[in-house]
Amino acid sequence: MEIPYTTQIRPDTGLTNPKLGIWLFLASEVMLFGSLFSAYALLRMGAETWPDQSAVLSVPLAALNTLILIASSVTMVMAWASLKDGSLPKYRRYMGLTILGGALFLVVKSFEYSEKFSHGLFPSTDIFLALYFTLTGLHAIHVIAGMVVNAYLLGPGTRLWAHHREQFTNRIEVAGLYWHFVDVVWIFLFPVLYLL
Amino acid sequence: MTDSVAVQVRSYLAVFGALLVLTIATVAVSYIHLPTTPAVALGITIATAKAALVAMFFMHLKHERRLIYVSLILTAVLFVALIGLTLWSEAYHVPGTKFGPW
Repeated sequence: MEIPYTTQIRPDTGLTNPKLGIWLFLASEVMLFGSLFSAYALLRMGAETWPDQSAVLSVPLAALNTLILIASSVTMVMAWASLKDGSLPKYRRYMGLTILGGALFLVVKSFEYSEKFSHGLFPSTDIFLALYFTLTGLHAIHVIAGMVVNAYLLGPGTRLWAHHREQFTNRIEVAGLYWHFVDVVWIFLFPVLYLL
Repeated sequence: MTDSVAVQVRSYLAVFGALLVLTIATVAVSYIHLPTTPAVALGITIATAKAALVAMFFMHLKHERRLIYVSLILTAVLFVALIGLTLWSEAYHVPGTKFGPW
């Protein structure tokens, strides 16, 4: 079945359907993460004592992960710009780098997790670690989901380019919007969990 | 590379540079060891500036249609209500932080 308005603008919304769809999905994601951020604020305000977060967690590793995720956002938008320029090989390079960025982020994250576990620090240890593992774990699941979609768009998904260039380019833009949102969530998680 | 794409690419690289500088600023500020309230305010302000750069340029929000803005404004209102009402309820349990008139 043909999906309507994938490249043509729908007159009543002024948008393509995938563009409106992804933004509404991201709005629901804001509320999902918002509920966890508000739980963090509530529990921290109500706590009699709170650990020195930067002493419990590794700030250098989190800063490195921030740089990795920002760089992967840049390569993602460059992948889309490459298609706008009509170059599939350049798109492949940038999309490959984006997926690599996601993988590096997860490797660093797994180092952080295993370092905590080896010191006997688990989600059940205290309220702060419960929040830390919940928020970063949910974020990591989002990174994995984005990598799966991006891997499809780098592999079998590129078949669409041969006959429907504009639709494929729009698909990359929509996948990019999700990937940038995941970056934005981390931009807030970094100071809230590691620095403040 | 077509001219319009080349201009976009230059803006993406400029935003990348700005994001790197702001990330360094975030970490640097944490080493000053400010009191909690200004530290939180500054940390969240820098994070918001970074998020705005990503949204405006990488997510093309700068050139988006009205319906997207309307949806996002509604989301922002609900987000602020979610956090605000939660903290408001907690304010009654912490001495000195009550901000209701009753």
